[in-house]
Amino acid sequence: MKILVTLAWRNLWRSKRRTMITIASVFFAVALAINAQSFQQGSYELMIDNMVRFSTGYLQIQDVLYEEEPSMDNSLLVSDSLLISVRPFLKRIAYTVPRIQSFALASTEAATRGAMVTGIDPETENRFNSLPEQVVEGRYLAASDHAVLVAEGLAGLLKTRVGDTLVLIGQGYQGSMAAGKYPVKGIVRLRIPELNNNAVYMPLSAAQDFYGAENRLTSLIVMPADPGDADRLTEDLSAAVDSNWYVVRSWKYLLQDLLSLMEFDTASNMVIIYILYIVIAFGIFGTILSMMIERNAEFAMLISLGMKRRRLAMVCLLESLFISFTGAIAGAVLALPVVAWYHHHPIPLKGDLAEMILQYGFEPVLPFSADPKIFLTQALIVFVMAVIIGFYPVYKIFRMKTVERSNR
Amino acid sequence: MKVIRTHDLSKTYNHLVVPVKALVNVNLEISEGEFTAIVGPSGSGKTTLLNMLGGLDQPTSGKIFIDDTEITGMKESRLIDFRLRNIGFVFQSYNLIPVLTAIENVSFIMLLQNYPKDKMEKRARELLEQVGLADKADVRPQKLSGGQQQRVAVARALASNPRFVLADEPTANLDTQSAFNLLDIMLRLNREENITLLFSTHDQRVIDRARRVITLVDGSIVEDQHFEK
Repeated sequence: MKILVTLAWRNLWRSKRRTMITIASVFFAVALAINAQSFQQGSYELMIDNMVRFSTGYLQIQDVLYEEEPSMDNSLLVSDSLLISVRPFLKRIAYTVPRIQSFALASTEAATRGAMVTGIDPETENRFNSLPEQVVEGRYLAASDHAVLVAEGLAGLLKTRVGDTLVLIGQGYQGSMAAGKYPVKGIVRLRIPELNNNAVYMPLSAAQDFYGAENRLTSLIVMPADPGDADRLTEDLSAAVDSNWYVVRSWKYLLQDLLSLMEFDTASNMVIIYILYIVIAFGIFGTILSMMIERNAEFAMLISLGMKRRRLAMVCLLESLFISFTGAIAGAVLALPVVAWYHHHPIPLKGDLAEMILQYGFEPVLPFSADPKIFLTQALIVFVMAVIIGFYPVYKIFRMKTVERSNR
Repeated sequence: MKVIRTHDLSKTYNHLVVPVKALVNVNLEISEGEFTAIVGPSGSGKTTLLNMLGGLDQPTSGKIFIDDTEITGMKESRLIDFRLRNIGFVFQSYNLIPVLTAIENVSFIMLLQNYPKDKMEKRARELLEQVGLADKADVRPQKLSGGQQQRVAVARALASNPRFVLADEPTANLDTQSAFNLLDIMLRLNREENITLLFSTHDQRVIDRARRVITLVDGSIVEDQHFEK
């Protein structure tokens, strides 16, 4: 075996340029594929993170009927039975974010607009989505306040400022009238334009009073101690709560439209990556083919001398393995600093593209994912592809006729 | 003792536009220790005959025996093994393995034979010494002259202790001095080690030194001369 390895290794370096070109082909394939995948997955991770942190949370407990008809009548009661069923999982839960929300009309002296009035626990909301950091005017809410935060866009539409009074009118629990006057304590600038144009926040207890829904929530967001545990925690909580009244939804369920969109996008990006693979595969095949043509006579001579075809095939396969392995490892290693840099320093977007992404409610940046699976998968795919191409010389060796070749 | 025997050996190439009879009923016996040249004009069947005798090609009809073993119809894997243990080859274009040094090229055959490793290097050096290249043991082929490469090829051919050596136009690419050196070495090996050598050649220098000259014309033996030298 040693002589086969020696032969393979030295053969690689008899045509340094060809070997380097082949290694470079594998290297670029791996590096490009890793960067492309990392870029795509990074964008998705950011999207999901944004949505989970600012919108749905990792999982939510809702009333069973809420999804079908999201109204105050289908809000959930924070009952003793619910608390008892959740208690065994407290160690796996970092914190919960209670919310009660419905639409109402918001009026000032100047204008009236539809608004999404959300009752929040100011402390946990801060932990959940750093809402106080979004306050651009006035101050953040305290749990005991009887006041509201108005999103900057809506404040503009209503021509209201901190210290003004906002009148809210809507429908409360079981058809009751929800109405109240609330001083504007602060203005918040929300990243998602749709929210920025209709959000009104008030402390949870004030909102429950407003909607006449004491001790009720429209959703209880649960943040797991380990985000990776979200799926299992969803399953466990689903099994624990009274399914006649409560349902536990994971972020994957709540964001299924977004995930479907991502899957479609992934599929179209994969087509581009497959094209890249094909181009690279032909590059590698070209160099392997030129190597075969150059060494046909030598292979025939070796068989004539008494070298078994399988041993000769092994030499060629070892050469392919060396090239593929070196290229794949080099590609993965050299992609690492690029990916790491853009993972920590996402590419900021500007102009129309940034505006468009903002419209979707996402940060206008392009981060890279540093998921080790991407490195492993892409390096492995290109490596396997190169090894498969490396079987071409093996095939040719087993079909080679020695007479025409060895007499040269 | 007869090392090679052929019985009505014929080869027709049917894949060409017109079938070509390369060998026609060749009956030949080569004894141990002979130094034989197969001569004839281009296309007379010299190389085809050598390919048959070396088990590199199969005849259309007829039989070949090496010692008492019939190699016609033998399976390729057995034939490769048989060649490795019984036949040495010297090619016109030397055909050394370019990435191996002279001594590694000579040892290569022994490695394929699973020759004991502790004796391999010693024997390879001895063979290189016999062909006058002891000082070039660690040099790769591209750093050797044509004559030196062909001498390494001879050492390689002898490495397996073959029953005979087939040399296809071994001096065709060599200058006069290198050709004479090579012939001297082969003659000495033939005389001193009783190695059986069979050449195909156009080269008068080889023909002049051969003790037996077989002339082929159109695939048939037309003359078989023995000389006392």
